[in-house]
Amino acid sequence: MVEVSDASVSVIRTGCLGSCGGSGRVLASKWSSCRLREAAFGMVLVFELALRCAAEAASSCPNSMTETADIVVIGGGIIGSSVVYQLAQLLDPSTRIVLCDRGPIAGATSSSCMGHLMVTPDNAQEYALTKTSVDLWRGLHEELGGFDYNPTGALYLAESEEDIEMMPVLHKQFLDQGDQAEILDQKQLCELEPGLARDIPGALFYAGDGVVLPMLAAGAMLRGAQKRNPNVVVRPNCAVTGFQRDGDRIAAVVTEKSVIHTNTVVNACGVWTPGIGEMLGQPRVPIYPRAGNLAITGHHVSPINTQLLEISYLRFAHAASEVDPTKTDADAGGHAVNMQPQTNGGCLIGSTRQFCGMNKQVNRELLKRSLLRAHRYVPGVAHAPIVRSWVGLRPYSIDNHPLIGPWDPVPGFWIAAGHEGLGISMAPITGLLIAQQIAGVTPSVDPTPYLPGRFAS
Amino acid sequence: MTSADATQLDAVIEADVGIVGAGPGGMAAAVRLAAAGLRVVVLDEGQRAGGQIYRQLPEGMQNHGVIQEPPSHDAGHDLIQSFEGHAQGGGAIELVRGATVWDAQLGRLWFEQDGVSRLLRCGHIVLAPGAYDRSIPFPGWTLPGVVTAGALQVMVRGFGVVPGQRALVVGSGPLLLPTVTSLLGAGVEVVAALEASSRMRALRAAPSVAFHAARRREAMWYMKQLWRNSVKLQWGWTVFACEGDGRVERAIIGKVDSHGRPRKGTERTIKCDVVGAGFGLVPSIEIGMRLGADTHMLPVRGGHCLVVDREQRTAVPTVFAVGETCGIGGAEVARAEGDLAAAAILRDLRGLPVASALVSQARAERRAADSMLGAFAPLPGLHDLARPDTIVCRCEDITRLRAEESAAMHGESMRAIKIGCRAGMGPCQARICGPSLQAMATGVNTCAMDVPVVQVPLKPVRSETILNAPE
Amino acid sequence: MSGRVAGLGERELVVFTFDGQEVNAWQGDTIAMALWAHGQVAVRNSSSEGQPRGVLCNMGICYDCLVQVEGVAVRSCTTLVKPGMIVGRGGKS
Repeated sequence: MVEVSDASVSVIRTGCLGSCGGSGRVLASKWSSCRLREAAFGMVLVFELALRCAAEAASSCPNSMTETADIVVIGGGIIGSSVVYQLAQLLDPSTRIVLCDRGPIAGATSSSCMGHLMVTPDNAQEYALTKTSVDLWRGLHEELGGFDYNPTGALYLAESEEDIEMMPVLHKQFLDQGDQAEILDQKQLCELEPGLARDIPGALFYAGDGVVLPMLAAGAMLRGAQKRNPNVVVRPNCAVTGFQRDGDRIAAVVTEKSVIHTNTVVNACGVWTPGIGEMLGQPRVPIYPRAGNLAITGHHVSPINTQLLEISYLRFAHAASEVDPTKTDADAGGHAVNMQPQTNGGCLIGSTRQFCGMNKQVNRELLKRSLLRAHRYVPGVAHAPIVRSWVGLRPYSIDNHPLIGPWDPVPGFWIAAGHEGLGISMAPITGLLIAQQIAGVTPSVDPTPYLPGRFAS
Repeated sequence: MTSADATQLDAVIEADVGIVGAGPGGMAAAVRLAAAGLRVVVLDEGQRAGGQIYRQLPEGMQNHGVIQEPPSHDAGHDLIQSFEGHAQGGGAIELVRGATVWDAQLGRLWFEQDGVSRLLRCGHIVLAPGAYDRSIPFPGWTLPGVVTAGALQVMVRGFGVVPGQRALVVGSGPLLLPTVTSLLGAGVEVVAALEASSRMRALRAAPSVAFHAARRREAMWYMKQLWRNSVKLQWGWTVFACEGDGRVERAIIGKVDSHGRPRKGTERTIKCDVVGAGFGLVPSIEIGMRLGADTHMLPVRGGHCLVVDREQRTAVPTVFAVGETCGIGGAEVARAEGDLAAAAILRDLRGLPVASALVSQARAERRAADSMLGAFAPLPGLHDLARPDTIVCRCEDITRLRAEESAAMHGESMRAIKIGCRAGMGPCQARICGPSLQAMATGVNTCAMDVPVVQVPLKPVRSETILNAPE
Repeated sequence: MSGRVAGLGERELVVFTFDGQEVNAWQGDTIAMALWAHGQVAVRNSSSEGQPRGVLCNMGICYDCLVQVEGVAVRSCTTLVKPGMIVGRGGKS
């Protein structure tokens, strides 16, 4: 873009004025040479102004730049970044992949969430998905690194009678999947995690869970993608404003910076996924925002080394919602303990859930409840300084299963979204399944339950 | 105050007006309001009234001319005396010491005091939280012994502690002078006093000093102190790096060009055991933002400032803001604005007219301050001092290189930089790294930090403080 | 070496410990100022790299001066000394 500085324009003006000073007597002869100079300056002025106008016109016109891509991924969060990474691994390095996000990369939910790598044993299909994905995370750590990967395992803490009865049930679920877990009594629990309150009846320990820092992971995956494929373009602060169509297919993605001609688009926009579909005249996919409050402590104060959940988390958070997600003011919200040690020695304290639309105001009552329950299990946290609290919006899918696959009514349009609280866990497998499906390769895990087509009617 | 005393205190206190900050702005407002018979509670993080500029020694200690003070401090002493007069037992002013405000909503200020969670309920709020030193990262700035110019002031004037034997003072702006004189008052050898601005540029401040009697007096006083102690201000110089084993032992200083860019080949090494770096001040605006005040970006006034009307009222009718939080301006500005805000509140509550002299006084002081500060606007070239391996976010130990990589991948906004490397996510919440981080990481040297996103707690407080917060 | 400016008056002696070492301070000192006067300018180790850190702003803004007092991380520049206080170096151990 051509830039014309204001300074040069004013210099031209003052130069012109300055050269035309002088007393009246010599004015006549000065006047004619001044006139010439004036005309010359004037022409330069007009020329520079014209250049400036042209440049401004070009930059303000959204369609001024056109380009082509093999694949456009919309949404630069953990899912979009993972999709790009897996596409880069699977496809030829000459494949041009453009990732657009209307804000910073990992700027939305992926920087407002807990980085829980959770393996869920209660359902064979979901176990396949989460277990494979968490194993992929370990591989990503070994290959890429740089995202505070910590294989902490998870302690499912029992408190009530109902919780105590649940422990062997959960234990059996893991065993039935061919995995391992351990039921700890009060004494063993205190030995494993001395920071815990002394009166917790017991817990189930599962070694396979872990913690990552999702926003760093997104960056790591994109760097990894670009390393293998230099034709991966990452474009933050570049909102998608519409599409150009070719019959049912997409012909181009229109963004605020350019028009990208492509037939293959992946929608990985988290809670904003429905809006992208609506730009294509599609019915709204049933993904709804579910707010979660989080608080983080200062450094080197965490009394715990393992990730903690309370057993009621499985009832409250993991099960399908009992509250209608389509209503935005009918949910008082709830909480179940999930606490994570961070690499800098801090502790991330969660986890609340409330359907309240896109409202990102911290719910004071839920935050207090969250801290109260954290103190109950980890008394040392009471004195820990809280540095910040915030809200993240989980994309909740109406049937509690993510959407991973093609959106059949628009050939070439794929959806990777709706993971609720398992987005971080499932990011690698989601990226892999999308990449495999786009490439026409047999998917590593059966994607049938997750095909978005179930909502296309 | 011991923990035992603190727990006897009421969790909730009430006032007609709540004031944040017991510096000149807060004190002036408090005195006028108290004189009118209103109950005023002033929350301050320190132990005595005075703020930063009129820092007092701990109770029981007195500076009987040992550490020389500039003429402007006479007015400061008078104001403190007035304030403390009203704050004596049973008086209309209650000074709450060691109070850290962590949340604010209409008519409510939550604070932590000695580990106890307390709430101040009030009708009007006056915000006078002041400002803090702008930090420019350079190699070795994280070494113990390298502090801000303001820190040295606090050390000497606030505690009577001798900062070291050989002090290097660097930075830009009028605050370098009081830093130097405080050091001299403490018997410290000032090995060099480096002003990054050129003498030519600083001369732009001359009219505002020359035509203002009080400032003229002040300037003469400083010149005399420097002359007496054979300290010369070096123009167009700054610190390039600090070195030492576990603490600062020497500094590499050199010349900068008119943009502040270091000039290679001009380096000299100088032995020192304490370095005070002050590159201007940044307004503290978090509480105001949390309450709903608007902000605007005024580089001359230090960056993002709260927006107020001609009577210091913010967009929220019961919330007033005075002094540095509306833009850096110094003690006289804060005092005049504090006076004015109090008068406006008295009109709200009692129908008393606001004397036009108060409005014009505040405006005049502000104008004078703006014209002087214009000569010391931040020099973007100073951002070149930090090398790729220089820590730029001290809380999280993030280097410049990581911040740049983060900007390149995640986007060129403050938020994007934070997300990519965690810079600005530590306990100081980007107060220290923020003002320079975005410009450094994106290479756009005039790039001011985006308006910060304000979250609760506004400053770190204990988890139980939030949990036990009265509502 | 640091110390005190003479002629400002004196305050009651307060003895506390920092990292097991006894420190003589004055009533009204903050932990950071008492340590600085004692010659101790490093008060914590930085969070990731474990580098020595001390006071930067001395007014409660920067959180670089964090120390441990009875298991709680506090700003040494805003926390007053108390007799018998046990202060530990802040940060990464």
